[in-house]
Amino acid sequence: MNNGDRKLYLASVVDRYVRGQIDRRAFLRTAGKLGLGAGMLGVSSLVPFGGRGGFISPAAAQTIQYSDDMTAWLKETAKPFAGQTVRLATESTPPSNAINSALKPYFEEATGIKVEIEVLPLEQVLQKLTLDVASGLGTYDLYYLDQSWMASFSGDVIDPREKYAAKPDLAMPNYNFDDFLPALVDGISMYDGIMVGVPYDIPIFIQMYRKDVYDELGLKVPATMGEFLANAQAIQKAKGPSIYGTTGQMKSGHYSLECDWTAWLWGHGGSVFGPDGKFAGNDDQGLAAIAYWQKLKENMPSGVTSWTWDGQGQSVGQGLAGQVLSWGEFFPSWDNPESSKVSGLMEAAVPPKADALRTVSETGYGEIPGVGHQGGSSLAVSKYSKSQDAAWLFAQWATAQETQVYITVLGGGTGPTRSSVYDDARVKANAKPGIAGTTRHLDAVRETIANHMGSEPDLPEWAEISNDTIPVELGRFWAGEYDSPKAVMDSIKDKVDGIIAG
Amino acid sequence: MRMNAVSLRLPRPFISDHPLPWLLPLIAILVVFALYPFFYNIWLSAHEFIPRKRGLDFVGFDNWVKLFADPRMWNALWVTLFYTGVCLAIEVTLGMAIALLIDSDDPGFGILRGLLTLTLVIPPAITGMMFLLMEDAQFGIIAAFLGDVGLIAPQTAILAEPSLALWGVVVADVWQWTPFMVLIFVAGLRALPSDPYESAMIDGASGWQTFYRLTLPMMGKVIAIAVLIRGIDLFRMFDYVFVMTSGGPGTATYTLSLYAWQQTFSFIKWGYGATISLFALFIVLLVAHLFVSLTKVRW
Repeated sequence: MNNGDRKLYLASVVDRYVRGQIDRRAFLRTAGKLGLGAGMLGVSSLVPFGGRGGFISPAAAQTIQYSDDMTAWLKETAKPFAGQTVRLATESTPPSNAINSALKPYFEEATGIKVEIEVLPLEQVLQKLTLDVASGLGTYDLYYLDQSWMASFSGDVIDPREKYAAKPDLAMPNYNFDDFLPALVDGISMYDGIMVGVPYDIPIFIQMYRKDVYDELGLKVPATMGEFLANAQAIQKAKGPSIYGTTGQMKSGHYSLECDWTAWLWGHGGSVFGPDGKFAGNDDQGLAAIAYWQKLKENMPSGVTSWTWDGQGQSVGQGLAGQVLSWGEFFPSWDNPESSKVSGLMEAAVPPKADALRTVSETGYGEIPGVGHQGGSSLAVSKYSKSQDAAWLFAQWATAQETQVYITVLGGGTGPTRSSVYDDARVKANAKPGIAGTTRHLDAVRETIANHMGSEPDLPEWAEISNDTIPVELGRFWAGEYDSPKAVMDSIKDKVDGIIAG
Repeated sequence: MRMNAVSLRLPRPFISDHPLPWLLPLIAILVVFALYPFFYNIWLSAHEFIPRKRGLDFVGFDNWVKLFADPRMWNALWVTLFYTGVCLAIEVTLGMAIALLIDSDDPGFGILRGLLTLTLVIPPAITGMMFLLMEDAQFGIIAAFLGDVGLIAPQTAILAEPSLALWGVVVADVWQWTPFMVLIFVAGLRALPSDPYESAMIDGASGWQTFYRLTLPMMGKVIAIAVLIRGIDLFRMFDYVFVMTSGGPGTATYTLSLYAWQQTFSFIKWGYGATISLFALFIVLLVAHLFVSLTKVRW
């Protein structure tokens, strides 16, 4: 059996095990015959749904076996760095969780390099990185960089392309920078001509809907914003309140509320900023977006104003919503029959087409309008690190095609950043309904990245604006503290322009 | 004693009669963990972190000027004071009532008093998560119950309603910390002398008169200590609002601690965050001092 066939067979065995068609003993026996080691047997069981980090499938974890080429290269190249430690502070995201809980031992064993990963809430990651660059101590060798921080940290990292060219002895063969999806490289990794980090993860808004509900009501997948609203109203009318038309992540003061807002704003031809660098959310397009959102909210559960992405994900998983425009990384957890009431019932599609879309030149601070709001991140090597070469080896391995494939099939819900991962046979083999860690939503993710992706502006004040100013005022609006959409948008404009003016 | 110490050949500081060697460890801890951070905070409040420069700039009193002109800060202060006052009133009243009920030597009451400590060992963030779910409009048992009895509209998102959100947080606090008051009050009640009660009984005093004329005055100092400790704790409340409301809806549940944390750690405005923290400290010190003076608490 050649290597490719063996991997496909493994995927099939895992599938049968996850579906309960073979028991654990039979699975392990089969896996053993295929020459799998027992190193992954201790991988933790399902992690409860939380954050946007998803879960790790223990069955899939047992199929991990890196290629001989990768192992040999790591062993040979890492010899001078054996015994060094590299540190990474990261948010709880699918790739970080998969690496930390399942894949890291392989890298450590092959290289002799110890890897310490701190999984923290996003704001604590920002704080730790800020302290690190302010002190220049190099406590962290690797930086997890949210797409909105690129401007802030562009001067504190090593451009991975330059590193790759400057150190050919450390360059992973066939690493292939061109394999990263071009839209992602532009959207989450580049700032002012510098490649700040390697594209690491891409949570992105896609459209997800209940096929059973759609079939029952004779609905078709919405292609426009108007159709999305009409479907929500139709579902609400026919199935509410047991199944709502749609759902949301609209907790006041939380970043998730800003994420929802930008999708509707961009979808109506608006933008956060104009080319003059001033807040533009209060223009006609911005107000049309709020009016649309108000109609949409009439078809949401009343709890949406107290939910972040956690509550939104749970509401769909509990069968409360007929459709949603949200993070694609939810999808694999909804197919998990052990934790979801809609296992096998959901389908994924690209977001509805925007009514109108501004170009980048019509916005400010590099904002890229698109209904598929993205929250991607990059992995960067700190220029203050005392183990830069070891960290660079880890960064290459963590973002290599093979590692991304394993991260994807482990089931955390990641959006791969490499084109080849979407085409990999092991990933495609998992594209089945009703199994934990399905990858059948990835076609929609890939197309959304290519054609519908929206990226937030890059400016140092954005963390405050997106995490506080906008979601707090929008929260007050949804709580009835503003008389009209115009009043809240004008208020946000005053505050945002004031923050930028200093 | 001194003979024994000499015979063991202990170093001189260990056999000194002078208090300094014995106080040094405590002084060191105080300096490292209290005085240094305090003075550093004062220094920090006169500076601000500038992200582009990767360093702190001296800003003089700018942060203080900004603080007093910041409507968000005044709102957070008001929310904090309101929350502290409401929680204290409920927890003291409920705590005293429950303490009077379980102040008994009958069988089973000891176990009951022990069970009361259970809520205190739960991390507040976990309590916040529990109540977040219980108050959820779709999944929550509290929201469902209140909707069923007609106190709120069915499927009301308690924590998303400006008029209800703070009360939703108060419920979690009261549930977790009322037993703390009960334990203090029970300890106080059980230490009261029995003679005045016997005299009151002979004089034919009613239960209410006994409580109002005897128990309450004799428990005054205990109540004052409990209020002081709990009040300081409530003033720096962070966990519940962080987990349950993120300060929302709007700014309806933004406490001073949450605001200081956000400025410091989310927006990396270390100077302004330090200024808010110092302001909160001054208020606590002022209120505590007034309270101690008015209630004549002796330490």
